[in-house]
Amino acid sequence: MRLPSPHGSLIDRKKPITFSFEGRRYTGFAGDTIASALAANDVILLGRSFKYHRPRGVLTMTGDDANTFVEIDGTPNLLADVIPIREGMAVKGQHYSGSLIGDSGRWIERISKFLPVGFYYRSLFRPQGIWPLWEKLVRRMAGLGRVSLDAKHGYFDKQYLFADTVVIGSGAAGLSAALKAADKGEEVILVERQAVLGGSLNHARFDPDGSRGMDLAKSLTAQARAHPNIRVMTDAICTGWFADNYLPIIQGNRMYKLRADEVVVATGALEQPAVFRNNDLPGIMFGSAAQRLVRLYGVQPGTRAVVVTANEDGYGVALDLIDAGVEVAAIVDLNARSGVSEMAKAAAEKGVEIVRGGALHEAISTEGGLPLGAVVIADNAGHGQARRVECDLLCMSVGWAPSSALPAHAGAPVTYDASWHGFTVRETPPGLRVAGAVNGVWDLDAALEDGAGGSDIPATPSPNHHWPIFPHADGKEFVDFDEDLTIDDIRNAVADGFEDIELVKRFSTVGMGPSQGRQTATNAIRLTQEANGGLLADARGSTNRPPAFPETLGALVGRNFHPVRVSAIHHRHLEAGAKMLIAGAWLRPAYYGQADNIKAEVEAVRNNVALMDVSTLGGLEVRGPDAAEFLNRIYTMSYTKQQVGRSRYVLMCNDLGTIVDDGVACRLADDHFYVTATTGNSDGVYREMLFRNVQWRLDVDIGNVTAAYAAVNLAGPKARRVLERLCNDTDLSAEGFPYMGVRTATVAGIPARLLRVGFVGELGWEIHVPASQGEALWDALMEAGAPEGIRPFGVEAQRILRLEKGHIIIGQDSDALTHPHEVDMGWALGKRKAYFNGARGIQIQMKSNMTRRLAGFVLPAQTAALPEESQLVFRDGDIVGRVTSIAHSPALRRPIGMAFVAPDQATPGSRITIKGPGGRMMEAEVVQLPFYDPDNKRQAL
Amino acid sequence: MTDPIQHQRRSFVYRKLAAVGATFREMADTAVAASIPGATPALGLADLSPLPRLGYKGPNALSVLGAAGLQIHEENDMALPVPGGGLVARLADSEARLLGDPTGVGDPLAAYGDVAGAGCYAMPRRESHAWFLLVGDSGAECLAKICGVDLRPHRFDEERVAQTSLARINGIIIRGDRGEGLVYHLLADSASAPYLWDCVIDAMAEFEGGPIGIDMIKNAAGA
Repeated sequence: MRLPSPHGSLIDRKKPITFSFEGRRYTGFAGDTIASALAANDVILLGRSFKYHRPRGVLTMTGDDANTFVEIDGTPNLLADVIPIREGMAVKGQHYSGSLIGDSGRWIERISKFLPVGFYYRSLFRPQGIWPLWEKLVRRMAGLGRVSLDAKHGYFDKQYLFADTVVIGSGAAGLSAALKAADKGEEVILVERQAVLGGSLNHARFDPDGSRGMDLAKSLTAQARAHPNIRVMTDAICTGWFADNYLPIIQGNRMYKLRADEVVVATGALEQPAVFRNNDLPGIMFGSAAQRLVRLYGVQPGTRAVVVTANEDGYGVALDLIDAGVEVAAIVDLNARSGVSEMAKAAAEKGVEIVRGGALHEAISTEGGLPLGAVVIADNAGHGQARRVECDLLCMSVGWAPSSALPAHAGAPVTYDASWHGFTVRETPPGLRVAGAVNGVWDLDAALEDGAGGSDIPATPSPNHHWPIFPHADGKEFVDFDEDLTIDDIRNAVADGFEDIELVKRFSTVGMGPSQGRQTATNAIRLTQEANGGLLADARGSTNRPPAFPETLGALVGRNFHPVRVSAIHHRHLEAGAKMLIAGAWLRPAYYGQADNIKAEVEAVRNNVALMDVSTLGGLEVRGPDAAEFLNRIYTMSYTKQQVGRSRYVLMCNDLGTIVDDGVACRLADDHFYVTATTGNSDGVYREMLFRNVQWRLDVDIGNVTAAYAAVNLAGPKARRVLERLCNDTDLSAEGFPYMGVRTATVAGIPARLLRVGFVGELGWEIHVPASQGEALWDALMEAGAPEGIRPFGVEAQRILRLEKGHIIIGQDSDALTHPHEVDMGWALGKRKAYFNGARGIQIQMKSNMTRRLAGFVLPAQTAALPEESQLVFRDGDIVGRVTSIAHSPALRRPIGMAFVAPDQATPGSRITIKGPGGRMMEAEVVQLPFYDPDNKRQAL
Repeated sequence: MTDPIQHQRRSFVYRKLAAVGATFREMADTAVAASIPGATPALGLADLSPLPRLGYKGPNALSVLGAAGLQIHEENDMALPVPGGGLVARLADSEARLLGDPTGVGDPLAAYGDVAGAGCYAMPRRESHAWFLLVGDSGAECLAKICGVDLRPHRFDEERVAQTSLARINGIIIRGDRGEGLVYHLLADSASAPYLWDCVIDAMAEFEGGPIGIDMIKNAAGA
């Protein structure tokens, strides 16, 4: 029922909003949450529990429990007690069969005797073969909510934030901390997960009159909002603490990544339940939840209430209920107090019966089994006469646990304090402190002082009852509402040998549901220690890890960055219909048009002229008096005598002697080499060079110029003809520019480095130009080669061409253990050099017998299904190697490949057996490499 | 006015600017986006990649540059103006980056193009790095969506340099205010220029940001 003003500080009665729940339309006001609007319409059943499909309603009204999980407009698992209503919103309950009210899934509770804690560890898989049948049922019944596969993607992003001090929580202690820090001149960010600042100041009753909290909230909030040094973030949740005060804060669709010098955690405390039979019925809620409904949303949470309490808060709840027109039938004070506080006096003056030293036996539902109808209480710690009290509302105020997730993430010990009857946060690491209720400071004035960093905070009595747990012979006294776990479930877990809380948690799943133990941990540790005979003092709860609150996948992955590198010629490839492939961060053209064109591209290189973009290859300038010596050490071959104007192959090995990269070194001057590296490892080569020279301290400078140069490979027997049309300041003849020569020249008016190298085994040049002129170079070459029918060729064609020439691809035809001799590259090792990186590793490897060698092989021309890379080579049933490269060779008109084989199989003429597709064994013949142009005449034209 | 493809030297993102209707002006050997019709964003991103810039590294690079008359800051990660409208950023004890006039008018780097000396090596910075200019009061807040360094003006002084990560690629950020406006120079791998351009444009959308031509930089400086 809706209450009149002044109740309902958050709602705007001038703005009604209509929404639907379970297909029926309801009206609330702007500022209402779904749960408060439904409660105002006397709808208290919001969902069904996970295991037993028990009816559930409001418990916390803070989004800290999972009772209010609903589906909104197709999005599951949203918390109805904190999400505001909006016009036209369609809300549905979750986890029921048939209807929320009828729920045919409720039958499972009748067989709860057969579903004890951990039952699935002992059943569902016997007899053998039965699991598939169970699996179908479990998949249907398990899980919370349904994911819509038609859900539209939202836009999520991230932003960094910076602050001197960040205060998490804006109750009394948080506001005080923020104002204090801001007054000192610090930049402060105040983070509040609710829509308004003030925390419990907005709804709790701190004095018999009931106004102090609201007045303080108004005053402190106004100061905070007006302060130039405070940035206020509401509806913002800090989900974790990470090293060096790194905090993720989710607000709307944005995750802020906030780093602060100081963090003040003033997150308050979480109200804890009493454990008694049927303590989960709709109509049973925390006292603070009832106060929120009354004060914030102007909703009368029931008509006749019982309040069970162990502290002053419960009396304040009773007074608030009375102010809201609720008949308070009894206050059951679990403590047999001798003194009477001002709040208790005020409640007594209202005519409320106070049962001192009382106990709860059970809650009873109305006929029809849904909401609360009555509770059974007794006095004298439960030993007195039990009596039934009719009510439709039971408010629990029996204790609190610090909302200590964030300090726990920071490594602060959170242990049970026997004198406090609850968890407390012990010391916190430097740069982080706790203040207010989370720090066990329960008095309002003390909390303000604590927030401001005061050192002499007076101790306050604990609000916690030491044992608000009332076992019942018929069970159903819920310790964990998410997982439907009862007192016996915890005791049985310990009896099964899981004595430590960490094991009890994992075996029983206590605290592992969506609420993550927020209402569970305290009673769970009490019951565990009782069952295992352990002490409660200094007992620790289970480890608390981020996230402290649910995070959507959108918040986590939203606006992540996936760098992409493209060559200056990229758009020409797209315009030519290239199919691009991903090579590390680069995009490269695999082929142009259809995959069928690869063969034509290969043939163009072999018989005509073609052009490939090789800009992605690494480029390094190695300059200085010791440049040649540096290359001598970092690569396997010798470079001191390499002539200016010549290039030489480079092979890099690591300390183990494993091949890690290759390329060519072009000597442009006595003290200047331009070195290429593979696309995938150019940054790695650069790092390795810098690292080594820190040790060697040679007089050399190393520059990574990979992106500074665009490069193309003009290849084919007609390549010279084409290049001569654009380059007339350099002799391009075979004599004037022999194979492996290097020149600086001008091509189409663009300053260029010309490298006569041949990965593909034909006459050709790599032409390297400044990147910004790469597209112009490409255009000029395509135009110059038009009379010959020049065409572009891509990576796939290049792979076939180089395979025909027997050239290995590092990382494909080699692996993390391949040393040069395994791939027949002993020729690339400088025999007379005193040192090169990896030499010692190779020596050591060669002391052992080689276990494999790379060999070229051919298959019969009519082979239909080719083996694939990594398929295995067998001999006499044993694996002896694997295929590393395979393709159909247009030049040889048959399949060719390379494979690691046993050393004695690497002799040309040997036969090897490959296990191909479908497990079919096929015979291949080992041949001498290269497959094509063995005398290398074509590339030397 | 000119078309970028009539020049051999082309910006790494000229297509993105052409797609929003940019008009290009010929400047020396290249074309620079001069204006974008109707563009008066509160936060502007200009492409200065075609404009001259230099880099030198090596154990003697700073002293050689100093001997050539260039004044370089005493501290690493700080920049100083170059007379004529440029900037020289000291990246390390052994490296400096020289940026030309962002309006493209002057050539303040003319005297430093052929600096030579033992232990001083020229780097092709006009090719290796793209150069963007972010102009507007929301610049720091925008960059906070792609960079974890606190670039707010009261924490990141004028002429300070950050060598850091921008949208997960290596980048150099130099604060170089013009007139009263907040200005950040962004330098990053030229092969990633289209990617970074898109990231910044996306980040600036909520600040009513968008691409601008160099004419707006002149206007911001009152030139």
